[in-house]
Amino acid sequence: MIPQERFRNFCIIAHVDHGKSTLADRFLELTHTIDARQMTSQVLDSMDLEREHGITIKARAVRLHHTARDGQTYALNLIDTPGHVDFTYEVSRSLQACEGAILVVDAAQGIEAQTLANVYLALAHDLVIIPVVNKIDLPSAQPELVVDELENVLAIPREEVILASAKEGTGVADILEAVVQRIPSPGGDPAAPARGLIFDSHYDAYKGVVAYVRLAEGTLHAHEAVRLMASGAESELLELGVFRPQLVPVETLSAGEVGYVATGLKSVRDCQVGDTVTSAERPADTPLPGYKSAQPLVFAGIYPINGPDYPLLRDALEKLHLNDASITFEPESSVALGFGFRCGFLGLLHMEIVQERLEREFDLDLIASAPSVEYLVTLTAGRGEVRVDNPAELPGPSDIEQIAEPWVRVKIVTPNTYIGTLMELAKLRRGAFQSMEYLDQTRVLMQFELPLAEVIVDFYDQLKSRTQGYASMDYEEIGYRPERLVKLEILVNGEPVDALSMIVHREDAQAQGRMLAERLKKLIPRQMFEVPIQAAIGSTVVARETIGAMRKNVLAKCYGGDITRKRKLLEKQREGKQRMKRVGQVEIPQEAFLAILRTDEGS
Amino acid sequence: MHVPFCVSLCPYCDFVVYAGRSARGPGSRVDDYLAALAAELDLRADALDASGTARRPLRSVYLGGGTPSLLPAADVARLLDHVRDRHGIEDGAEVTIEANPGPDERGDLAGFAAAGVTRLSLGAQSMEASELRRLGRRHAPGDVLAAVAEARRAGIGSISVDVLYDVPGQTEATWRHTLEVLLDAGVDHVSAYALTLDDPDAEGLTGPLGDHLPTRPGARAWRERARAGQDDDRAADLYALADELLARYGLRWYELSNWAQPGHESRHNLAYWRHEPYEALGPGAHAFDGRSRRRWNAARLDGYLAALLPAGPPGAAAASGPLPRLPPGGEERLDAETFAVEEAMLGLRLAEGIGPEIAARPAVAAALDWARGHGLAEDRDGGRIRLSLRGRLLSNEVLARIARH
Repeated sequence: MIPQERFRNFCIIAHVDHGKSTLADRFLELTHTIDARQMTSQVLDSMDLEREHGITIKARAVRLHHTARDGQTYALNLIDTPGHVDFTYEVSRSLQACEGAILVVDAAQGIEAQTLANVYLALAHDLVIIPVVNKIDLPSAQPELVVDELENVLAIPREEVILASAKEGTGVADILEAVVQRIPSPGGDPAAPARGLIFDSHYDAYKGVVAYVRLAEGTLHAHEAVRLMASGAESELLELGVFRPQLVPVETLSAGEVGYVATGLKSVRDCQVGDTVTSAERPADTPLPGYKSAQPLVFAGIYPINGPDYPLLRDALEKLHLNDASITFEPESSVALGFGFRCGFLGLLHMEIVQERLEREFDLDLIASAPSVEYLVTLTAGRGEVRVDNPAELPGPSDIEQIAEPWVRVKIVTPNTYIGTLMELAKLRRGAFQSMEYLDQTRVLMQFELPLAEVIVDFYDQLKSRTQGYASMDYEEIGYRPERLVKLEILVNGEPVDALSMIVHREDAQAQGRMLAERLKKLIPRQMFEVPIQAAIGSTVVARETIGAMRKNVLAKCYGGDITRKRKLLEKQREGKQRMKRVGQVEIPQEAFLAILRTDEGS
Repeated sequence: MHVPFCVSLCPYCDFVVYAGRSARGPGSRVDDYLAALAAELDLRADALDASGTARRPLRSVYLGGGTPSLLPAADVARLLDHVRDRHGIEDGAEVTIEANPGPDERGDLAGFAAAGVTRLSLGAQSMEASELRRLGRRHAPGDVLAAVAEARRAGIGSISVDVLYDVPGQTEATWRHTLEVLLDAGVDHVSAYALTLDDPDAEGLTGPLGDHLPTRPGARAWRERARAGQDDDRAADLYALADELLARYGLRWYELSNWAQPGHESRHNLAYWRHEPYEALGPGAHAFDGRSRRRWNAARLDGYLAALLPAGPPGAAAASGPLPRLPPGGEERLDAETFAVEEAMLGLRLAEGIGPEIAARPAVAAALDWARGHGLAEDRDGGRIRLSLRGRLLSNEVLARIARH
């Protein structure tokens, strides 16, 4: 039994690819938590998707037993954190579970925007920072420059910085020693009423929601009844345990410890990240601070490409939701896309990941409508406000007093050679430049304010392509601002196509409308009659194209040897027709919608 | 009967064809092929005889290709005699041979006539030298006129030409010119086909037992380029122009892509469209029993020859060698519904259209209602219904609505 004063709870803050997972693997090896034979590369990133995206999506935790240079054995709880802007809230909960953070910076790349944001977050939680400059083995490594940068930007004393190569094992033992020496033990009274912070969870078919907790105070016992203070849910604990990294049951978890509680609860909604778990018998008076339920920022309709898969999609979303309470979904239907769900996500990457998981883990073919943000619409005649996350549901122009949209502050770290192109990008996206400071002689931190809607489309891709991948970004919400926003509708043969409606700035409406109309003209096959395509704001048409009537679709030659073949070709055409979606009299293959929704704007 | 040899291959063609040394010269496989064809004719006639199927003399014989006109007239005569011997050929039957117009390709037209050929189907394609070049054809426009004149002199009573529209670079003027020159030359029948650039590989037709040969890379590349030069609007205009011009010369449309002076309609092809039974010989050929079974030979010549000439070339055959067997191929059984669908699909290709009993079938009736609504179909006397001019060009829109799913 390791006493509380020999507990250390810490996380690793690093930019994508700066070596967080490799470092974590070295820790596991060095502390014999996993022997070399069991090591698959990067144990902590257990989902395929995470490996492919090179990021950690869901926090994981592991307890390491480490014999320090003082000869004592310490219990080190490494709490892994998601490394992406979409998951800021989850990161903050993970940080709250720690007393210290290892800041890993790539010796060749230097500090990135994301890292900076997370370090500020860690400092706000009073975490001890252990700065590590990693990948010093790289030929392009410039550790001294990065140490300068840490000093200039974060006021980190040079002598605290540990130079390391997680890949080669250099400096890893020093880092562990620093964890023991520099990070304080957790504290907290084991005899007080229990208060545990939930920093992550997963769903298990047998154990229900398994919450990952950091006990701030008190002690939890196996099989005692617990209460979730924010949701009010109560349940009897099925199991308590620690992460080695597999789940190993224990009898108690007490103040300062990190572990899991199998709640038996059937829904992660009852057990959300940030909530406080306490004893039902002897509850704490107040929950731990900082809880908020995850708020989706980005919304899109998700539809099965094959209509009959709708129930499968619903089941899949329900299952995913068990593990990820931040996804919201409710049924919606679209003329173009059939039956699907309006889903809310933490951000674009989150949306992409959810879509990929639905497709891979549940074998579904899906199409998503264009992503949208949530608009705050003030109705005329004092009828109050409504929130609209689906452009098709925007009230008519005469009912709208004002539309406000969410804005974000975007922080970008970039080599100074790209300042001009990023200024231009921000301007194109209705952004306002705020400030710029030099991190070192060649790298700058730029700050802009932008409408979130402009950021979620393909801002990140644009940022990467305009800077050859060198820039990194982070954003935070800064509230709603009223703007001259209008609903741009696309009408095919006079009928609006719901899936293509969007809310745009009045000044961009015509250009957007023209682009959409032109693309649709190429994608919609000719009909038996001429079909006008219009982009309109209310009753004002801002762009128009016309698809001429179909004139030829014939199998010109059909001799004796051809009959089976031609019949099959016609059967295939018939199949194609079955899959057509009807907008009024116009038959449009679903592929056309897919193509227009899949292609990135402006590309 | 399919004759799978040509002097050269045309890049748009996906019939079963072998060219070059297989087709001509000392190493040619033509003689082997004729022996194999004769063997297949016997085996299949034996089977029909054995089945006790009641048969009447053939009303038409079609020598297609490839370029059957490359065959010596004596071989054509021997082949037709063999057919007559095993099946009988009705008096006044239509006996067609396909020919290319070039002087070294059109063959001995007088000899063919003497052998019993009554109809010539000439691969004219265009009367514009530049279009012929673009299509990879070997002949010149003048060769077509020479061939027509020669056929007339030889006493071939019915002359048909194949022409192509929607050819890259084609204009209304060149198309009009092609048609007028041919009509002025007095052809009796015109097959006008939209240049169709298929991909039989993608359709899964070119496997070892498939009825098509794999598309050669050169042809594939050519088709891709040519597709870019095609245009549905122009094609539709050219079709309408052809229909009008041909009618002015007295040729009436009787099938989507076929126009004829009255009495010169291809009886053989009509049998296909009317779902009548036909025998078929040679690689890639399809036969139909008129009810429920369609069968075909695989496209590959090696397999065909190996099955039918198991002892090697005919001259070398040992008296006691292995016996010929039917060539590899495939078959399809048509159930009643498929049969009915095909009947409607094929019937709607024809100017005679379909009768009230076919038109009343539920799947057909719904499609026809839709077609009428869009002006694609027209009602005729006796409850018959056929496609309108616009409907012919959009026939797939109607037929796909009849197809099973």
